Amino acid sequence: MVNVRHQALRAALAVLAALVLGTVAGSVIQTQFNLLALVRIGGEVTLTQWLVVTLQDIAGFGPLFAILLAVTLAAALPVAGVTARLLGGWRRSLMALAGGGGLLVAFITIDALAPMPTLIAATRSLPGTIAMLAPGALAGWLFAHLTRAVHATEGRP
Amino acid sequence: MTTRCARLAGLVLLLALGPAGAATLRVETLAEGLEHPWSLAFLPDGAMLVTERAGRLRYIDPQGDLASEPITGLPEDIHVQAQAGLKEIALAPDFADTGRVYLTHACGSRQANALCLTRARFAEHALHDRETIFRTRPERQGSAHYGGRIAFLPDGTLLLTHGDGFVYREQAQRPENHLGSLLRLNPDGTAPADNPAIADAAPETWSYGHRNIQGIVHDPATDTVWVAEHGPRGGDELNRVRPGGNYGWPLATHGVDYTGARITPHTSLPGMADPLWTWTPALAPGGMTRYSGDLFPHWEGDLLIAGLAGKSVRRMVVDANGVDEAEILFRDRGERLRDIRTGPGGALYLLTDYADGRLLRVTPAD
Repeated sequence: MVNVRHQALRAALAVLAALVLGTVAGSVIQTQFNLLALVRIGGEVTLTQWLVVTLQDIAGFGPLFAILLAVTLAAALPVAGVTARLLGGWRRSLMALAGGGGLLVAFITIDALAPMPTLIAATRSLPGTIAMLAPGALAGWLFAHLTRAVHATEGRP
Repeated sequence: MTTRCARLAGLVLLLALGPAGAATLRVETLAEGLEHPWSLAFLPDGAMLVTERAGRLRYIDPQGDLASEPITGLPEDIHVQAQAGLKEIALAPDFADTGRVYLTHACGSRQANALCLTRARFAEHALHDRETIFRTRPERQGSAHYGGRIAFLPDGTLLLTHGDGFVYREQAQRPENHLGSLLRLNPDGTAPADNPAIADAAPETWSYGHRNIQGIVHDPATDTVWVAEHGPRGGDELNRVRPGGNYGWPLATHGVDYTGARITPHTSLPGMADPLWTWTPALAPGGMTRYSGDLFPHWEGDLLIAGLAGKSVRRMVVDANGVDEAEILFRDRGERLRDIRTGPGGALYLLTDYADGRLLRVTPAD
């Protein structure tokens, strides 16, 4: 019983860590695309402004992206977990793939539903969209990595 | 009959208190059942033309009754989706002689569309001799941020507002295309030879760095052009536009993106014009009128701006010291307002932005 509670707590902390890492990564990545777009049209952004905006976006953009990522992971990671069990391995890779692929589905869905054509400006381009999938993959991988011992004690790869 | 009943049912008394003193306003529903009405023009005989974004042009007779059948002869390639559709209707300054009207509309498909300016002759409940005289470049994907308002200048040219297309916001800083620009055209859609000299600009560009202008007026008393434009989340702007000016978007703005992300670190930059007024949270300005009439003498010369998200009208007082928001009108009605016009008799006319939109007339109650 104690072991089960310990595993549940560990899984919950793993989800939290994955969400925090993915949210921060996603926010930082989108900031770089947005500021680079300004530089390309002749805008000047000092290093200090660059850092300040990057930090402000974690507070400003982060909450929305955290919700998007949480919903994505809640749907994608269980599917990846079941698939890994069926395949007998590849858990970390599958969860990374599920996190990234899940975000792609989330971006497409939210752009179809939201009044504006593209909700997240960084996803207006293909490179930006691909880069914005990385936080999902990172979050999925981290969750799998932090919960690996749980599955090892269960005798699963 | 239905219209008359609706007019009676819609008769409302509204108390609006402002610095200019208490004024009791009467708000009357002239027409309803308009699908996202966007623009209004007054014919010399007191009748009105109203565009519906869904792609219809409606006629309201001098008695205020809405004709059941839309006006025929509209362009066939109106792209209707989201913000796209039929937009502005404006009578040519020489309408009395020529019967000419100008219309703006999104044209093309979702994958490749533009803002088109169409000229036609209005007579006998129909448009005749229709021709599309201008089409913005480049074509863009999506159905957002078209601008589409028209203002005529005393020299016979016209100003046409054009939005940034939403996903192309950086293009507003590239005057060589039409995205995010205010364009000045001859009455036949060609570019005047005396447009401002802006490096590498398209010949039609008059000013640039705009996001999505949906309110424009020319003040004849001061020969000033005013525009109200949408910011992103906050940062809506009222600008006094000078030829050749760069109005900053998206390098400088007081708003942030809808996601909460910063669009730029700058709210002001050298070489770019600052707004004279900003709204945060967003007003989402629709149409704008410069009031001149006998019914509300204390509003003479003021700018009245319709608010969509702000669900109100902002009365802006312009003087030598700048601009001040003197009064917020109609906020308690809680309606999205797309357009506002001063009628020939001095009454105000409002269009509400709904699938079952209405035309309202505002007069003093006493």
